[in-house]
Amino acid sequence: MEKFQLKMKVNGRTVTVAVEPGLRLLDVLRDVLHLTGTKEGCGEGECGACSVILDGELVDSCLVLAPQAHGKEVVTIEGISREGELDALQRAFLTAGAVQCGYCTPGMILAAKALLSRNPNPGRQEIARGISGNLCRCTGYAKIVKAVELAAAELQQKEGAAGV
Amino acid sequence: MSETCVVGKSAPRVDGPAKVSGKSQYGADIDIPGALFLKVLRSKTPHGMVKRIDVAEALKIPGVVRVFTHADVPGENSYGIIVKDQPALTDQVRFRGDALALVAAETEEAAKQALEVIKVEIEELPPLYDVWSAMAEKAQAIHAKGNILTVSRVKKGDAAAALRTAAVVVSRRYTTQRVEHSYIETEAGVAYMDNGILVIKAGTQNPHYDRRDVSRVLGLPMHKVRIIQAATGGGFGGKLDISVQCFLGLAALKLGRPVRMVYDRRESIAATGKRHPFLVEYTSAADREGKLLAVKAKIIGDTGAYASYGPATLNRAAVHATGPYEVPNVDIEALCVYTNNPFSGAMRGFGTPQMAFAAESQMDLLAQELELTPLEIRRRNVLRPGSLTATGQRLDHSVGISATLEAAWEKAGRVMPGLGGEVK
Ligand code: FES
Ligand code: FES
Repeated sequence: MEKFQLKMKVNGRTVTVAVEPGLRLLDVLRDVLHLTGTKEGCGEGECGACSVILDGELVDSCLVLAPQAHGKEVVTIEGISREGELDALQRAFLTAGAVQCGYCTPGMILAAKALLSRNPNPGRQEIARGISGNLCRCTGYAKIVKAVELAAAELQQKEGAAGV
Repeated sequence: MSETCVVGKSAPRVDGPAKVSGKSQYGADIDIPGALFLKVLRSKTPHGMVKRIDVAEALKIPGVVRVFTHADVPGENSYGIIVKDQPALTDQVRFRGDALALVAAETEEAAKQALEVIKVEIEELPPLYDVWSAMAEKAQAIHAKGNILTVSRVKKGDAAAALRTAAVVVSRRYTTQRVEHSYIETEAGVAYMDNGILVIKAGTQNPHYDRRDVSRVLGLPMHKVRIIQAATGGGFGGKLDISVQCFLGLAALKLGRPVRMVYDRRESIAATGKRHPFLVEYTSAADREGKLLAVKAKIIGDTGAYASYGPATLNRAAVHATGPYEVPNVDIEALCVYTNNPFSGAMRGFGTPQMAFAAESQMDLLAQELELTPLEIRRRNVLRPGSLTATGQRLDHSVGISATLEAAWEKAGRVMPGLGGEVK
């Protein structure tokens, strides 16, 4: 089959790769670009381990064909920290004990990121809804919700400080 | 009071930063250039003898390097934590999901195609899907020694006599279901030869046991096998058993090339262990005041096609059958039984959650009979310092159940005011 010239922005960097058109975005990220922070848990849109942000929207990268990402902007877990500095959400996940085996963590953090960019001050219910597409088998979710609250509070505070 | 630098303080977890930034390497994340991809052909038949495996068509597929079957296993073709009863590649099928052939190919696609064209001839045997038919006198033996793998007993006092004279006796039958662990990371790993040493990196909860079984199956001395635990995406007991390890080892050893393998979710569910389904016949007896006098129980655990942690699970079930309660007369029998179902092994609690369901249900029923509240009957029976357990162990030190019960009750009263009209 003829290869597809895929051009997209990944974590702020423009990449152009020739891929099989049947490849999933998940495969391009993991196998072609070696961004293995994005995980596969089910391959059918159930678990959210493969979550990435595509043009600002949270998507399951196992359900996105590579050509669908053409011309778009993708953010993966590798694009969350800046110059080795952990992001507020990443730090909050550690502080709250929201990471156990860690396999759901990249997807969870991206789900939380997408939520906070829409709604910087979410309530518990809104957080629960925001991560409802992401399964975690280890934590029981309470600490993940707590982590999102912590990060939101920190970001709000910073905003407030910056506004003064 | 003297200060300690560790105890009582939260320490940041060493693997935390790598996990939140996506840098942790799980089995499927390990980059190993030039690695062949492995795929397993699994049986669709639940029970039968393998007569012939024809791999000729599979070998014609471009990219397919080799197809292994039971005939290629160099060592003892059996592994298992407690009983060595599970073949790496089998010539006798005992459940839908047993491994028949292992394909090594340059691409995952080629390996998948190969699976489609391997021809397997199986002489089918009637499948035994429930413990009763497996235990029936004339049942076909799934393993050479018969279908009842182990019988564990716990006896104390004279349960029969206590049951005859007790004020109340409650008998019920309980069944619990098979449960999949569903860790979000499926089984995965890589293997390669390093100066004559076989190195396997895989998600596992049991690297030392893996090493012992891999060396047994491959006929290698232990010091020629290294197992390195990759970051492991959940286990809950399910990654105590061998999954990809023997396949990876066999292919890397025989081909002298790096190999990798990842189960998809379907294979992960089909091929790996489950929580044991239990069948419990439970009789409890108490006096007028609600003090437990006796427990008699028969527990049958369906360990499926292979033992895995079955004997330990049923042993634990027997030991914990009376729950956190003091019972003077006890008669427990727990059987671990082979069937043609997916195999059952370790899963959080090792048989005690199943027994908690039965034992606690019995307490509620006894309370009903005696017109006591569920809380009160428990207060009257919980283990305390000085109590004797079902196995006759004296609990000399602290026992937390009483304080736990009161704390839970106190909290329940706070979060659900007016709960049940319970008299405090
Ligand atoms: S791998 Fe995409 S949702 Fe599970
Ligand atoms: S931390 Fe293990 S699945 Fe969430």
